[in-house]
Amino acid sequence: MPGVALSRWTMSYFAAALAWLVAAEALMAAGFGYPAAPFEAPETLVLVHIITIGWLSLLMCGALFQFVPVLVARPLYSDRLPLPTLACLLGGLIALLAGFLRMTTETGASGAPFAIASILLGAGFALALWNLGRTLWAARPLPLPARFVVVGLFSLAATVLLGIVFSLTLGGLATAAHAIEVTTHGLPIHVVAGLAGWLTFSAVGVSYRLLAMFMLAPELDGPGTRGAFYLGTAALAIAIPGGVAAICASGNVAVSLVAASLPGLAAAGLYGRDVVHLYRARKRRVIELNSRMAGVALAGLGATVATGIALLAAGAFVRHLGVVVFLVAFAWLSTLGLAKLYKIVAFVTWLECYGPVLGKTTTPRVQDLVVEGRAGKWFVLFSTAVWCGAGALAIDRPFIFRLSAAAMLIATLGIAVHLLRTRRLANVAPTLRIPKGVQPPHLLVCRAQHP
Amino acid sequence: MTDDETERFAGQIRDALRNVIDPELGYNIVDLGLVYAVTVEDGGVARIEMTTTTRGCPATEYLKSGARDAAWNVPRVEFVDVALTYDPPWTPDMMTDEAKMHLGIA
Repeated sequence: MPGVALSRWTMSYFAAALAWLVAAEALMAAGFGYPAAPFEAPETLVLVHIITIGWLSLLMCGALFQFVPVLVARPLYSDRLPLPTLACLLGGLIALLAGFLRMTTETGASGAPFAIASILLGAGFALALWNLGRTLWAARPLPLPARFVVVGLFSLAATVLLGIVFSLTLGGLATAAHAIEVTTHGLPIHVVAGLAGWLTFSAVGVSYRLLAMFMLAPELDGPGTRGAFYLGTAALAIAIPGGVAAICASGNVAVSLVAASLPGLAAAGLYGRDVVHLYRARKRRVIELNSRMAGVALAGLGATVATGIALLAAGAFVRHLGVVVFLVAFAWLSTLGLAKLYKIVAFVTWLECYGPVLGKTTTPRVQDLVVEGRAGKWFVLFSTAVWCGAGALAIDRPFIFRLSAAAMLIATLGIAVHLLRTRRLANVAPTLRIPKGVQPPHLLVCRAQHP
Repeated sequence: MTDDETERFAGQIRDALRNVIDPELGYNIVDLGLVYAVTVEDGGVARIEMTTTTRGCPATEYLKSGARDAAWNVPRVEFVDVALTYDPPWTPDMMTDEAKMHLGIA
């Protein structure tokens, strides 16, 4: 059906992302990687990249293929590219993990897997950037939320390029002086570009639109929101290209990161003020589970920023860097991701199954596909476990951290079961479940139906 | 048709459009204020002007075709034209009191 923005492969991205999240939590519960291993150990790098590429980046790509068209009111440039994109990303991630694991062996010969990882991850993210970039380019002038996503995509490109330089250098394939200098000193830029630029800035852009949409709150594009965008963009520009330039010039990245932190904190403050306004000005007084948990995630972002400032003031930031990175990945990005996943799966499944028979027969509401009361307890467990885990890292209690990771794993599996029930229409009243002429949805692929 | 008949005919079409719900809000599109105008012309031609809660809503095409199919089910309707507009943009204030109460909207 022309004009229907139903991304065919988004469910496949979500399923793969969830599988990687479960794997990461199982590894953390088993004591693999940090804090049992040093922050820079290959085991920790395996864990970090499972979380950032396998879980968060696949989730973000799947969500953007569905929601960039909503942000710009235009169809996705290509609905075919996401499948080869996913194949490249999955293959590249496996090769990258193999490369890190090879570093722990006696020979340490990781050149081949790193080269394959560079090619596949580079190709996969390039395809995603091409597809989303063409969609956004065709929709100029862009609304403000979409501009956040554009900056997020530029940051993704920077993250991937730095990652490729690191891989090729660590694998012994790149020997240029600047490549070695960037690999030696550039890890903070890679982390900032990935977590703050790609994942956070994109999530912020999408959140402006989704929070307003789901809570019936006014859409914001005033001076404060524009200020958050320009200051955040300036912070990323100082930290990423500025940081690389600083390394090549002097081998010292600290100056650019400190300089970037000032506009970055100002942007975070303005975004926080906007979020409070969105929740206060919402027309829907009783909000759904996804919006409540998004609130928890946003509070998590605020608490993470406050924790980072407190650690900096106490001179303990570097020692507790693991706590801050863990909070960004789980208290902010993963909590928000799981909350929106809960909503998006129900919404997309509704569109697929009941959209085509709207007006022809009685249809359930999107809310009839979920049971928030039962799912809510898994979200509460997840969030509680995340903060227990962060506390355990802060006071250096690895066993409590592992218990917390096990609780996160159980909570994630509980949420995954609810997502599966949603996709199977198991919560819909039997009389409304499968209207005449409609096929039950496929678990991993969305299909436009023509009853 | 007399003015009364035209009014009644349009009212029947509006009633039929109440079978179409906005999936996100879970309430019918008429009382949500998403249907801006229903006019009928000689020969059973029905023209519907409607909007969506947000521009770029993924359900847009389904809402349009749902409105067309619902109107087509009304006796004497021979042709349905559904036009989408965002002028003016929809706001929650356009809902009926019943819809606001149902959704717990302040």
